[in-house]
Amino acid sequence: MTKIAHVWCSGYTQAAFLPSEATAHTVIFEGVEAFIRRLPERAYWESFFQVWYEWERGAEGRHVIWIGCDITQGIVPMEKEERQWRDVTGWCYQQLAKQCTRVDRIWCGLAERMK
Amino acid sequence: MIFISGGVRSGKSGVAEHIVRSIASQHSTIHYIATATVTDEEMRERVIRHQQARRLQPVEWVTWEQPRHVHELIGAFRAEDVILLDCLTNWLANELFHEPGWENESYCRQKAEHILATVKKLSIVSKAVVIVSNELFSGGVLQDTGTYHFMKMLGWLHQQVVRAASSAIVVQHGIPIVKKGEGFMW
Repeated sequence: MTKIAHVWCSGYTQAAFLPSEATAHTVIFEGVEAFIRRLPERAYWESFFQVWYEWERGAEGRHVIWIGCDITQGIVPMEKEERQWRDVTGWCYQQLAKQCTRVDRIWCGLAERMK
Repeated sequence: MIFISGGVRSGKSGVAEHIVRSIASQHSTIHYIATATVTDEEMRERVIRHQQARRLQPVEWVTWEQPRHVHELIGAFRAEDVILLDCLTNWLANELFHEPGWENESYCRQKAEHILATVKKLSIVSKAVVIVSNELFSGGVLQDTGTYHFMKMLGWLHQQVVRAASSAIVVQHGIPIVKKGEGFMW
């Protein structure tokens, strides 16, 4: 029997999925900002993160890794849509930082552990 | 190899020049590779300001204006020379966008790999190469293909250069923050 080590899901090329479709113990969501861009609704993502958090705690050895681009440090955009995307992304990252056991800030491949 | 990055007007050129001078010996020639193309008055003023700052210094600088094909210069450097490359951002943009092809990610990847190979060669033929680049990843991910590929390739190059570099520094408000390797005397 082959066991998949992890599932990698990129927001730039794929759609996000729920724990019911998890096929491995480690799930990686990359480009979190891209998932949010398509649906910039805070409440939706809050419950999405919550559902994964519960899945992770549901069994030993489960891990969810969230990878996002920090898009929150530029000039405030003129367009309402862009502002909305940025705001929701900022809130989402706060929630993820709160619920995750480990938080790293990556610069040029160097990780700085923040939590 | 030393990597220096920073935002606009962060003082990174000043920090890079300081480091170059501290590495250079009395036998070194300091080479300045400028990759920016002067396309408007604002850019011209910026170039002149940087040139004047260098002219005030005791060591001699040799300036090469090379927006693309930096590898053509490799024969011009000696083992005791120090090279300041300013900057990676412009160089990549010039290589990617001077002709069609940037719509294709593998074309962009090839260009970036060629740049990385050139940077590594520069560090082999000289005493040290100091590479200046820009922090431009925090303003959001832009959706047009050109900018997206440009940012993706620049991010990849930054990672590779930092991996190969003995020191990596981010400059913020004129203050150098050492991310990797030893600090320099400021």
